[in-house]
Amino acid sequence: MSLKRSGMLAWLGIGLILMAWTESQAQPAVYVVNYPLHYFAERIGAEQVHVVFPAPAGEDPAFWKPHVETIAAFQAADLILINGAGYAKWLKTASLPKSKMIDTSRRFKADYIEIQDAGTHSHGPTGEHSHAGTAFTTWLDFRQAAQQAEAVTEGLSRLLPEHKDTFEQRYAELEQDLLALDERLEAIVARQRARPLLASHPIYQYLAKRYGLNLQSVLWEPEVMPNDEQWDGLQSILETHAAAWMLWEGSPLPASAAKLQALGAGSLVFDPCGNTPEQGDFLSVMQQNVARLQQAFQ
Amino acid sequence: MHSLYVAWQYLRFHKVKAAVLIAALTLITFLPLAVHILVRASEVQMLDRSQATPLILGQKGSALDLVMNTLYFASKPPETITMGEADRIDETGFAFAIPIYNRYTARGFPIVGTTLDYMSFRRLQVASGRMLAVLGECVLGAAVADQLGLGQGDALISTPENPFDLAGVYPLKMQVVGVLKARHTPDDRAIFVDVRTAWVIEGLGHGHEDVATTRDPQVVLREEDGKLVATAKIVQYTEITQENMNSFHFHGDTGQFPLTSVIAVPHDDKSATLLRGRYLPETSAFQLIQPLGVVQALLQNIFKIQRVLNIIFAVVSVAMLLTIILIIALSLRLRQSEIETMYKLGCSRLKMAELVAAELGVIVMVSLVLTSGLTALALHWQTALMQQFLS
Amino acid sequence: MTDAQPPFIAIEQLTFQYPEGDFYLHIPELGIDAGTKAAVIGASGSGKTTLINLLAGIVPAVSGQIRVHGAPLDQLGDAERRRFRIANIGFVFQDFALLDYLTILDNILHPYRINRALNLTPQVREHAVHLADIMGIADKLKRHVHHLSQGEKQRAAICRALVTRPPLLLADEPTGNLDPANKSHILQHLFQYVDEAGATLVAVTHDHGLLSGFDRIVDFQAFDCPQRA
Repeated sequence: MSLKRSGMLAWLGIGLILMAWTESQAQPAVYVVNYPLHYFAERIGAEQVHVVFPAPAGEDPAFWKPHVETIAAFQAADLILINGAGYAKWLKTASLPKSKMIDTSRRFKADYIEIQDAGTHSHGPTGEHSHAGTAFTTWLDFRQAAQQAEAVTEGLSRLLPEHKDTFEQRYAELEQDLLALDERLEAIVARQRARPLLASHPIYQYLAKRYGLNLQSVLWEPEVMPNDEQWDGLQSILETHAAAWMLWEGSPLPASAAKLQALGAGSLVFDPCGNTPEQGDFLSVMQQNVARLQQAFQ
Repeated sequence: MHSLYVAWQYLRFHKVKAAVLIAALTLITFLPLAVHILVRASEVQMLDRSQATPLILGQKGSALDLVMNTLYFASKPPETITMGEADRIDETGFAFAIPIYNRYTARGFPIVGTTLDYMSFRRLQVASGRMLAVLGECVLGAAVADQLGLGQGDALISTPENPFDLAGVYPLKMQVVGVLKARHTPDDRAIFVDVRTAWVIEGLGHGHEDVATTRDPQVVLREEDGKLVATAKIVQYTEITQENMNSFHFHGDTGQFPLTSVIAVPHDDKSATLLRGRYLPETSAFQLIQPLGVVQALLQNIFKIQRVLNIIFAVVSVAMLLTIILIIALSLRLRQSEIETMYKLGCSRLKMAELVAAELGVIVMVSLVLTSGLTALALHWQTALMQQFLS
Repeated sequence: MTDAQPPFIAIEQLTFQYPEGDFYLHIPELGIDAGTKAAVIGASGSGKTTLINLLAGIVPAVSGQIRVHGAPLDQLGDAERRRFRIANIGFVFQDFALLDYLTILDNILHPYRINRALNLTPQVREHAVHLADIMGIADKLKRHVHHLSQGEKQRAAICRALVTRPPLLLADEPTGNLDPANKSHILQHLFQYVDEAGATLVAVTHDHGLLSGFDRIVDFQAFDCPQRA
């Protein structure tokens, strides 16, 4: 290669790096509180925005507590997408600019599910109050997920009005994907909607509500072997709720699965996908979820 | 030059007399100027701030109180509206709402509960430390930090509204996380907190030990129908820390929580008009006002006062000038023998007048220099002075 | 005596009276030659000071002739008489007439600061310092008047009178406020100047004990100055 040509290539390289750099500078920063919103924003915003989801892998973003510096990064963002429904407990105590915040589930606020069994207490003269919160895995109802994606679209369009049409086009595609999932899941469960099912954790409220699942939850962790008390509890549930399958957030310990199997219930993973999946993306994970759930309805 | 030299020697020798004359002249020139500067400064600042604040929503009542409380953090808090009203403005899509809850104070300075949008709206930036991140934190206006000698890492305790109200508001120990750059506006004299922190001060939100998990039998009073009734032993936090942050919660719907006002920033003129249409005085329970009009009406009154003051100054100035003329005339009579001597030494009448004029000239010059100096100082400190008057 | 040379001071049939009041002065004839040290004596109110003022051109004559150093004062206007005064007269007053707000040096130089016709040059300053040295007040030049004794004040006043090197020195009771020792000193200084500069001295005095040093005594008893009743 002649010296002249390699020099030109070097310039070209520098030029490309500069272009990429200026583009990343020009991209507005969109901060999100969970992976589904990250996915929606990336699909709709694509190269027009720089989407940041700061919760570390392995943490549940719903209960994660960001550092002050991370809160500052959120404050400096051009757009903040929150899930709403009480998702991300840290939002309750963090100061963020309201004008940049989009509560993506606000429009179906009336459909929020209150968690009833968290216990109430009272103290002092102000009377009783409850620490019971709102169920927040709103996106497991795929029609709600579509509405959240629509809110993301609106937020992005407000931020970059010149790309409004592009965003809406991309949203239409995403909506199609989500509604396809919805239709498929609906078709799967339609035949035997009343089949009893178990959930390892009370996070499938919207899923159960939307698709009419007969779901009972315990409070187990996939990576922890339940204790005797928890097994006893399960058995008493099974007496009235003869479930053949338990939905897990992640793969259960083989021992747990085996013991569960012995009690007549198979294990299937329905990953809520609150944090970034190790493989695939939101859509593929949900497709796998739906496919796995299909087993329970065969 | 010789005349100036002789005049200067005369004034140096008669220091007290010269000083009195200079002081009198300086005062009669500076005082009206100072009043003018202050009025101008207040006019500029009040107009600036009211122009920069398109609309204010508040409870019906005194528009002036609402404006003074929202823009200058002065006057007693107006009757409250609810956070829901701020949300309602947001939902119209015509404007974005900045809630203001300015009711409490700490060491004499107002605690302004708002959202971070206020900071970007007023272009407030931190000079040191950082912006509010979580509940219980506060950032100080430049003048507050300066006067209280506080900075990042210090704590500031809110002043109880009523020290005898045992059941109600607990003082909140706030963490100072930053100090704002001086803007020479009332923002310099305010303590900013998240509006939810202000509600914590009000007692609407608090943290405590989790009753369900506590083992202290003294805490749990009794169990009624599966509900735990806690005794007063539960600690009412007066400080929000990383440790107790998670236990902080609000009782009831935050939409019902109080605000003193809401600043509405319309997206454009049309939106402003449409928003105002929603809050017509006949139909709305609230008032949506343009602060500019209110402030202009207030300034009219200030101008009237200035006119009266100007007349007073004019009369006083004339009286003072007459006195000065009398003093000069008397002093010339006292110096008759000196004048005679000079005449005998060949000094002309004209030269004599020149000497006296030089003396007066030096007095006038020195008092003009002093007046300019004082005026420069007044101009430099006008905003600070103004804020003293406004707060 | 040579007739060709007119006397330095020549008065003929001079009358003077103030616009108001009873005072009236008539000097039929008076001639004083250049270089003369003349003492003017007479009763109080006889017109001695008026003569000094007439000679200085401070007040104009009502009638008659008065020539000093060749200048016909009876024919000159106010401004011309003032110019004559600046150029020809050195004044010594009984009350010294020093300005309290100036230093002694500034008092001595004062004629230069109040008369445009006089030019305050470095040589003039040198001369002023030299005079003060002769008078023995060189160390007082930076001080103000109230720091000086009576004798020192009169010496300062004499310095002021001599600084312009006037051909005619007019002194109105120059020793009136001084103690005997200072009186003769002051007169010696005046005489010395007259002798050295060839100037003329006309001094009003009450003090008959000092007359011996003068060349000529002008006695106002000799003039017709009736107190017009």
